[in-house]
Amino acid sequence: MAMNYGGWAGKVLWVNLTTSEIWTEPTEKYLDYLGGSGIGYKILWDHHVDGQLGTDPENVIVYSIGPLTGSGVICSGRMTVTSRSPATPGHLITDGHVGGHIGPEFKYAGYDALAVIGKANSPVWIRIEDDKVSIESATAIWGKGTFDSNAELTKLMGQDAQVFSIGQAGENLVPMSGFMTPGGHAAGGHGAVMGSKNLKGVGVHGTGTCTIKASRDEMRALDDHILGIIGSNNNNVVPSTPQSWAEYYSSGSRWKARDEIKWGAADEPVELGEVAWNERNRIGYRCSMAEMYVGVEYTNKWLKRMGGCHACPIRCYCEMKVPELKSRFKFKSEYITNTCGGFIWGNYLMPTTAGTEQYALTATAGAYLRDDYGIFSGYGLTHHIFKDMKTADLFKHLLSAEEFADVPWEQWDNNEPEFLVDLYKRVAFPDSYPHENALGRMMGDPVSYIDIWKLDGTNPAIDNWNIYAESNVHLFNRSMRHALHHASECASQVGTLINVIFNRDPMCHSHINVVNGGLPYDILAEVCAEKFGEGAFDPVKWYTPINQGKVNFAKWCVVKNVLHDSLTICNWVFPLIISPDKEKNYRGDSSIEAQMYSLVTGDKVTEEELDIMAERTVQLHRAFTALEMNSNDLRRDHDVLSDWVYDIDPDKNFGDQGTIKMDRDDIQKALGMFYEAWGWDSETGIPTRATLEKFGLGYAADKLAAKGLLPG
Amino acid sequence: MITRRGMLKGSMGVAVGTVYSGTLVSFLTGCGSDNNDNGNGEVVVMPGGLMVVNPILCVGCRRCEAACGWNHEGDCGPTIARVKVAHNMNYGPHGVQSNYYEQRGESGDFTLVPQTCHQCNVCMEVCPQKAISINEKTGAREVDESLCVGCGYCADKCPQQTIKVVRSKMKSVKCDLCQGEPNCAQVCTTGAIKFYTWEEAEEALEIYNNYTGLVG
Ligand code: SF4
Repeated sequence: MAMNYGGWAGKVLWVNLTTSEIWTEPTEKYLDYLGGSGIGYKILWDHHVDGQLGTDPENVIVYSIGPLTGSGVICSGRMTVTSRSPATPGHLITDGHVGGHIGPEFKYAGYDALAVIGKANSPVWIRIEDDKVSIESATAIWGKGTFDSNAELTKLMGQDAQVFSIGQAGENLVPMSGFMTPGGHAAGGHGAVMGSKNLKGVGVHGTGTCTIKASRDEMRALDDHILGIIGSNNNNVVPSTPQSWAEYYSSGSRWKARDEIKWGAADEPVELGEVAWNERNRIGYRCSMAEMYVGVEYTNKWLKRMGGCHACPIRCYCEMKVPELKSRFKFKSEYITNTCGGFIWGNYLMPTTAGTEQYALTATAGAYLRDDYGIFSGYGLTHHIFKDMKTADLFKHLLSAEEFADVPWEQWDNNEPEFLVDLYKRVAFPDSYPHENALGRMMGDPVSYIDIWKLDGTNPAIDNWNIYAESNVHLFNRSMRHALHHASECASQVGTLINVIFNRDPMCHSHINVVNGGLPYDILAEVCAEKFGEGAFDPVKWYTPINQGKVNFAKWCVVKNVLHDSLTICNWVFPLIISPDKEKNYRGDSSIEAQMYSLVTGDKVTEEELDIMAERTVQLHRAFTALEMNSNDLRRDHDVLSDWVYDIDPDKNFGDQGTIKMDRDDIQKALGMFYEAWGWDSETGIPTRATLEKFGLGYAADKLAAKGLLPG
Repeated sequence: MITRRGMLKGSMGVAVGTVYSGTLVSFLTGCGSDNNDNGNGEVVVMPGGLMVVNPILCVGCRRCEAACGWNHEGDCGPTIARVKVAHNMNYGPHGVQSNYYEQRGESGDFTLVPQTCHQCNVCMEVCPQKAISINEKTGAREVDESLCVGCGYCADKCPQQTIKVVRSKMKSVKCDLCQGEPNCAQVCTTGAIKFYTWEEAEEALEIYNNYTGLVG
């Protein structure tokens, strides 16, 4: 079948760094998996080797985009990276996600994915200019941070190129590392995979296009339809303060524009005022959420403008001019941009108070350092671990006397952000200390250090401190040792189930883009009941026992998440089942992705048909997890939660108002219902042959059967 | 003393066809006023005007590029877009400098300097095929693809580097103001890119040109 669709570029680019071979294969063979994470999982499955490590040369890393990437449809600027990850126990497969402009550039260069296998003899980078692809020496930039590395790669390619690179953390094989693009966009968990391949970075320049089947008028009509529905970041559809145009407001909303907020560091300060939902040409001011990271005072001083990814009107990146980065910390630049976790983690680690100068400096200086070194935090997990252990004064029992004396603890005690300057260096350069540098190593490899330091409640030297019992550490999935990421703390069993099935923190916002929307509970509950069944959405911290509505909701969230990572569309904003439009009774439109896909590719699909294509990748992911873990019981081996999830708030019971406590029996029941909803064995949580075959994954069933892992 | 703006304001309402030389010419072409004193630079005042981006307000979403591509070629990509955001986006108008972190762009001071066609006459004048002419209705300098042979003279000489030869059809493409309904401005998320009449353009260009040089 010749490719006659819009959207896809049509080729997957392969580079073997061991042999220096470069070749392409048609994307056509991956079309059933859409793109993005779908292509990533399929390629990894096809190259699976039992017991392989993420850092083994033959492990494949896939950077992939989907049919919508670069098409200009709203929020379509993302790229997925898929590989075995050294940041997970057993180096299981994970996917990370990066925005900015690199994904679209792959499309314009003519590729739907870049798959890299092998290991170069010395540091290299991959240069892609349309059909011209080469492996170039990176010796001159090895050892540099991502800021300088990206500048060097761009200098070599010319300013139209988009690039990404690992920092020193990835080079030094720190498991908690990632890569960065210019503009503060990062994907985490695979920096050490690149480092192990001696792959410093990739540069792409494309002069082609993303072809689109629909007419301009159809594209613009859909664009306008979406602009009438979309909210702010996380699809918050109400402003954060009472405003003349809005019936509702919610202080937690990421729709921060109002009279008190300005882009104060702009050359001509930009007063924002109210930004009503239907002001199409002011939508880029709407989010302006820097106050969440540096407070209102420093927003008005430092925020220069908002930024973000290709084709996104929401602009969640806070681009700040912070003179102190140069004057106080002696960094090269006084500019830093990032969003959300990129700024937050430092303040999870330090004993800061929101609204203070230290808080604002910790956010920005921390972001600068992590971004330049290319350090990943696993949704803040390492930072929570540090703070909890520091607060409990455990490090003196775990570090050698020499190392303990070498750490500037007084900076932490005095709340000085300079502590991060010291600490992140330890993380990025694990081998550069005269002592073991166990602190830096732990921050870079918590999965291993839970065992090395016996943090599971079995080390008498630290009074049997148990990381799985500590709610402040946020370690949620006990088997995967990953942090909660919108789990039971905000979305009952729905968030819990979403946080169970992936091998890393789930990076899923499908539920958050509804439940944190900011509308009154009754409206949100009504929307969820209509869509998923009665009782699908509980008030936060007031949970009822599991029901079918919640299971349907959780499954829908995972499918949409994988759909977005495959198309690629931003899951930090989509799906849009609520809107700011009162005339629409605050309802959104969950079929927008199918409308986008149909227009761009010319392959007309319904929402249900598209969801089935995304579910195929979820099914493959699950089978893959069983295969990689060599497990015939994922309920036992994978889907296990930390004790604190059940034991938090000892004087409260599950279901009481004011607690996020889950119940052990209820979660076991929820898992069984969840498994059934996916067509997995209700005991072991492994897809059945019938289910796999239904999704065209008979080959996966055969493989599991051959290993004795298929249920029944 | 006659200020530059005063001169333009005072001349509002002049008949189509009036010829300017001097400051507005230098803004439009990016050439210094010295160049204009020799009388080479002239702008014929026509109906319509030009698109200019305010670098203080641009947030780099590239929706303008996308809408431009959809409208003119039915596809999406920076090469076919008549407005060029990506070129200066990461490292500013002069590419990567040793002090890139102090220059414009996402890796510098965050000021974005997208390039738009300033509807000057350079392309029209250098085209050996006479393929570029002024649309009487909109004032846009437009390429007649039936005459264009893709030689690239216009692209080489374009002061804003916005006219490009698209390889797939070997024709040069440039901003035609979307026949008076500029799609880029319609979708801009912040109102950063706008259509300005010739009379309004000077102030917008003055702001824009503050950001086209090297910093420091
Ligand atoms: S649409 Fe507006 S804000 Fe976005 S890149 Fe273009 S000019 Fe800048």
